Amino acid sequence: MIEVRNLVHRYGDARAVDGVSLTLADGEFVVVAGPNGSGKTTLVRHFNGLSTPDEGSVLVDGHDVTDHPVTARSSVAMVFQDPRECFVAATVGADVAFGPANLGLTHDAIEERRERALRAVRMDGREDERIDELSGGEQARVAIAGALAMDPTHLVLDEPFAGLDWPAREAVLDHLQALHERGTGVVVVTHDLRDVAASADRIVVLSDGRIALDGPLDAVEDRLAEFGVRPP
Amino acid sequence: MYVPGSTPAHRLDPRAKLAVQVAFALAAFAHTTPRGLVVATGVVAACLWAARTPPWEALDELRLLVPFLLAGPLVETVVLGPPWLAPEQAVAPALASYRTLLVVLVAAAYVRTTPTRESQAALQWFVPGKPGRALGLCVGLVARYLTVLRADLRRTRTAMRARLGDQLPVRERMRIVAVTGLGRVFDRSDRLALAMRARCLSWNPTLPRLRLGRADAVALALATALLAWAVAPLVASTGPLVWPLA
Amino acid sequence: MSTQEQSVDLVDASTALALARVALFAALAGAFAFVSFEYPLSPAPVTLQVLAVFLAGLFLGPVWGAVSMGVYLVAGAVGLPVFANATAGVGVLFGPTGGYLLSYPLAAGVIGYVAHGGPEVRSLDEVGVPRLVAALVAGVVVIYTLGAAGLMAFGGLGLEAAVVGGAVVFLPAEAVKLAAAVGIARSDDVAMDA
Repeated sequence: MIEVRNLVHRYGDARAVDGVSLTLADGEFVVVAGPNGSGKTTLVRHFNGLSTPDEGSVLVDGHDVTDHPVTARSSVAMVFQDPRECFVAATVGADVAFGPANLGLTHDAIEERRERALRAVRMDGREDERIDELSGGEQARVAIAGALAMDPTHLVLDEPFAGLDWPAREAVLDHLQALHERGTGVVVVTHDLRDVAASADRIVVLSDGRIALDGPLDAVEDRLAEFGVRPP
Repeated sequence: MYVPGSTPAHRLDPRAKLAVQVAFALAAFAHTTPRGLVVATGVVAACLWAARTPPWEALDELRLLVPFLLAGPLVETVVLGPPWLAPEQAVAPALASYRTLLVVLVAAAYVRTTPTRESQAALQWFVPGKPGRALGLCVGLVARYLTVLRADLRRTRTAMRARLGDQLPVRERMRIVAVTGLGRVFDRSDRLALAMRARCLSWNPTLPRLRLGRADAVALALATALLAWAVAPLVASTGPLVWPLA
Repeated sequence: MSTQEQSVDLVDASTALALARVALFAALAGAFAFVSFEYPLSPAPVTLQVLAVFLAGLFLGPVWGAVSMGVYLVAGAVGLPVFANATAGVGVLFGPTGGYLLSYPLAAGVIGYVAHGGPEVRSLDEVGVPRLVAALVAGVVVIYTLGAAGLMAFGGLGLEAAVVGGAVVFLPAEAVKLAAAVGIARSDDVAMDA
């Protein structure tokens, strides 16, 4: 469970996140939406302690993320926008193994996690392929596998569909739905609800660093446009 | 470049291969004599055989070095004044060039048979602690981002040509290419650092598995012999011991 | 979970960023080795490798700049095709042109030290043009001194041939790169948070 309490994040004098409180239960599929500059990316980077709050706090499974960064980062895994920029190795298998190796797991455990993560995105058996020879959609799936290898309870994805063609978006969405069905919490950050709205349990809309709307699609649908989010 | 395969050299432990390479380079520098280089040539032949690499293939990637290797002996042969040519002066540079060629060939055998991840593992084994971790990590990142940055620069130059950038002075063209490259580097390093931290970038990760096998014993014996041969002249010139190999 | 919390020694944020920059500058040097320009006064096409050494010293400072060029050499030594013409291997480092390559970490360190006036990195906006030029000239001196020494030690050339053929003829092209590097350091094209 991720609990955000009165979180404030400042850039200079501007308050990018301005007093947000939010609880994300295990296994929930949540979409965090909002126009560019609404603070959604800044907000989710607090979920696993990558940023430090100026005010307020974030707890993961009851532990403050600032004091328990390893717990936070293995429970809340993150896939960043444009995953091309975030690989740490030239080949698929080496990249996916990066997280588990950092956690100091045994060789067998690392291998087991790598295989499981690659199977979840149907990239198993392609460990030795070079990442720069994969298509954009395949790279996006490898990035998800790299996060899944942390064995997280929540997977946070920042604009996971940006720059992907339609079949690749469908494939990524299918994998996210499958993960959700198996009990992983999924958080998708996006400015465009078209792809994910139907799969989400709940939609949180940010506006100027505050929560403007929070609820299932049918409850918030009519007011999305007010806050600069295009309805699906 | 690394070529996937299953030659005896591919199966060797990267640490054993690095040891042979370094010991060979030292030995070749210590014995840049006709007799020494004959022995060294035999060692090179053995290394290339273990990598199932014909010498011309190993050299093909290193064509660029050939003119430099020929330059030494050729330049030193010429004297300013009669008799204009002094072939005897070319002997020492020729030996030096040939020695360098041998070192290059042994290195080529390593490069062709060792994937980056094995080299990373060996580096982290040889350099303990945080420096070794940092080195292993950075080499992996270079493997990933070399091709990415190359593609960036290629695009920049194509765009520049399309806008008649060819007519700009060289200094300006260099500046444009470099500014693009630098911008990408800073942009990427911020995101990459964040992504690594999200995956618990740590100083004490599980290191890749390395295991010495029976064939590695042969390679290590060769490295030890080469090392002994390399230091033999030093010991012989400073100590009272007479070394059989020296 | 709590045992992992204690056993995993996380790299802090600023070191993670420094390591990412070190690696990417090393990769940039490898990418620059691929970019060559024809230059009328130069006997061979001019690659941008040395420009990467300049920029590493200026933008990363003496310590990380030198480390970054060290990583570049190690990456090449273990087989990544980062040297000119996509070559790699220890053999290149101890080949005739090895002296130039081996000088890069020292040159980046010297450039960074002179430009920033010590081991600490300060904003390049505070560094005057004369100091920038002095730093880069010092770097060029290091690179070509060791480069010529390499030609003599590994390539068997005599002193005169090494200095004339291995250094003097390349200096005009280096002057162009030096001017480009000063232009980059003085411009607002590259934004970097210190």
